Amino acid sequence: MTDQPFWITFIVGFIVLNLLLVGMAYMTWLERKVLARMQGRFGPNRTGPWGLLQPIADGIKLIGKEDLVPKFADKRIFLIAPLITFVCAPLGGLVIPFGDTVTIFGQEINLFVTDMNVAVLYMLAVGSVGVYGIILGGYASANRYSLLGALRSAAQVVSYEIVLGLSLVGVFILSSSMSLVTIVNEQRRPLEFSLAGLDFSIPNWYIFSQPVAFAIFLIAAVAETNRAPFDLPEAETELISGFHTEYSGFRFSFYFLGEYISMIVISLLAASLFLGGIDGPIADGFWWLLLKMSIFLVFYIWLRATLPRFRYDQLMGIAWKVLLPLTLVNVLLTGLIRLRGNDQISMSAFLITFAAIIVVVAAAYLASSRKQEAHVG
Amino acid sequence: MSAEVLVFDILAVLAIISALGVILLRNPVHSAVSLVVTFVNLAGIFVMLRAEFLGVVQVIVYTGAILVLVLFVIMLVDPDELPEFHRGQPLQQAAGFIIGLMLLGELAAAILTRTVVGQPGPWTEDFVQQQGGNVQVLGQFLYSGYVLPIQAIAVILLVGTIGALVLARPDQPTVRPRTRSTGTISLAHPRGAEGEFHPPLPIGAGAAGRAARVERRGEMRGGIIVVTDAESYSDIPAWELEFAEPDVDQKTYAEDGFGIGREGDRS
Repeated sequence: MTDQPFWITFIVGFIVLNLLLVGMAYMTWLERKVLARMQGRFGPNRTGPWGLLQPIADGIKLIGKEDLVPKFADKRIFLIAPLITFVCAPLGGLVIPFGDTVTIFGQEINLFVTDMNVAVLYMLAVGSVGVYGIILGGYASANRYSLLGALRSAAQVVSYEIVLGLSLVGVFILSSSMSLVTIVNEQRRPLEFSLAGLDFSIPNWYIFSQPVAFAIFLIAAVAETNRAPFDLPEAETELISGFHTEYSGFRFSFYFLGEYISMIVISLLAASLFLGGIDGPIADGFWWLLLKMSIFLVFYIWLRATLPRFRYDQLMGIAWKVLLPLTLVNVLLTGLIRLRGNDQISMSAFLITFAAIIVVVAAAYLASSRKQEAHVG
Repeated sequence: MSAEVLVFDILAVLAIISALGVILLRNPVHSAVSLVVTFVNLAGIFVMLRAEFLGVVQVIVYTGAILVLVLFVIMLVDPDELPEFHRGQPLQQAAGFIIGLMLLGELAAAILTRTVVGQPGPWTEDFVQQQGGNVQVLGQFLYSGYVLPIQAIAVILLVGTIGALVLARPDQPTVRPRTRSTGTISLAHPRGAEGEFHPPLPIGAGAAGRAARVERRGEMRGGIIVVTDAESYSDIPAWELEFAEPDVDQKTYAEDGFGIGREGDRS
C-alpha cells in the first residue's frame, strides 16, 4: 500500500460509486432477462438491442411519476427514509480491493478507496444503518401493512446480522486480519499440501477451508439484502409490498436502487472474502472479481426464480436454531485448528478438546431433537 | 490539519444538535432517529481519533442492534398510550433539572481541577501500528490480561437474558392450540391431520340425527358444512361423512347438494 494524495482517493471513490450505480442499472436488466429465460419468456427486448436501454427508460419513467405523500404520514421521516437506504448501500463498496496498484502518469494509484483495518466490520455497520431506511419508511407510511413490513425487517435484520457477523469470524481467524486487502492477499498465495504421497497446490481461497461459513454467509446475505426467499418485509402477496407500499416515483426508486446496490456490494464482499477476490488462475485482476460477482448475482436471481418465500417463524427458526449454533461450532473448531497449526497446543490437548466439542454438540443436537419429538408426539 | 479540525467541528456540532433533538423532540420515533444521528457522528469522531474498531462497533451495536430494538418496541406501542414526557409533573421536572445541574457540576469540577496529567502510556500510534493494528492490540489486551472480567460480563449478560425470559414467560405454560382458530367453509379436511379424532356419528334417522350432527359440527346446508367455531371441526373429509337425507319439509336446504340454498333462489 502506498500513500497517495487525498484527491486521487477522492477520484477513485467517485469512479467506484458511479460504477456501482451503472452496475445497479444493468443488474435490473440482467435480473429481468435471466428471470424471463428461466420462466420461458424473453424479457425486455424492445428498447435498444436486447433491451439494453430498458434501465434508462425505467429511470425516466420513475422520475416522471408523481411523488405522493400519504395524508397521515409522518412527513419528515417519510421523505428521509428512502435516502438512508440509498446512501448507505454503496458505502460498503469503498473498502473492496479491485486490484493492486496501477501507475498512471507516474503516479501510483491504489485500486481501492481505503484500507481500514476493520473493513469487514465497517461493511456490516453500514449495512445495519441502511436498514433504518426500511424500518422508518414502513413506520412513517401510516399504513398497517407497511408497519408490519417494518417490524418484520427489524427482527429479521437483528437476527441475521448476528449470523452474518459470526460466519465471518472463521475467516478472520484464518487470515488474522479484518482488512479486506489483507484477507485477499492471504488468499492469493497457493496452499500446498501432500495427500497420499502426491503434492497438491490449490489456491488458498477460504471457500475451501471455510465451506460451512461460506454457506451460512450466503444464506444470511440473502436475508440481509431482503431478497427472495427472505423478502418478508416486502412480501407482495402478504403485505402488498410491505414497507414501500406508499412510496411512488423516485422515492420508491431509491429503495429499488438501494436494494440492488447492496446486492452488488455484498456479492463483491462474498467474492473477496471466500473466492479470493482478484485472484485467478491467470492474470490476476479486477476481471476475476467481476466474474465472481456475476456468479453470485446470477445465483441470487436463480434463488428468486426457484424458491417460495419462507414463513415468518421458519425464517426466525433457521436463524436462531440452525445457523447460529452452526456458526458457533464453526468458530470453535476453526480456532482450535488454528491453535494446533500454530503449535500453541499439543496434539493430545487438541484431540481431547476436539472430541469434547463434538460430544457436546452431538448431545445438544440429540436433546433438542428429542424434545421436539416430544412436542409433536 | 485544518481539514481535520473542520471535519471534527462538523461532526461535533451535528452530534450535539441531534443529542438535543433526542430530548427535545416530542415524537419518540423522532427522538430515536436523532439518537441514531448522534451515534453515527460519535462513530465518525472515533474514526478520526484512529479508533476505527470502537467507531465501527459503536455503529453495529448501538445503531444496528439496540436502537433497532427500541424502535421495534416504540412501533408496537400505541402512541396514545405512551407516557407524556413533556407535560405536567412539576416535581419530576424539577428533580430532572436539579440532577442535571449536579451532573454538570461534577463534570465541570472534574475538568477544572484536572491538574495532575498522567504520564502518556506506551500505546502511541506508532507502537500500535508496530503491533499489527488497533484490533490486534485490543484483542491481545482483552483476552490475555482481562479474560476473567470479560467472562464475568458474558455470564452477567447471559443471566440477564435468562432472567428477562423468565420474567416475560407466563406462569402457566400455555398449551399451543393444535387447531386453527378461525372458522372456514371446507369440503376437504377442515382440520388437518393433527387434530383429535372424532368418531363418525352413527347414521341417525331423520330430523333427530341431523339435529345432533348439526349441533356437533356446525350448520349443515345442503352438503356443505358451515363450521362456525373451532370446536366443531372434524378430521373426516366431507366426502366420507354420511349425511342424513335432508328433511323434505325443510325447504331451507337446496336439494342439488351444492350451493347454499335460500328460499328465494329456487323459485
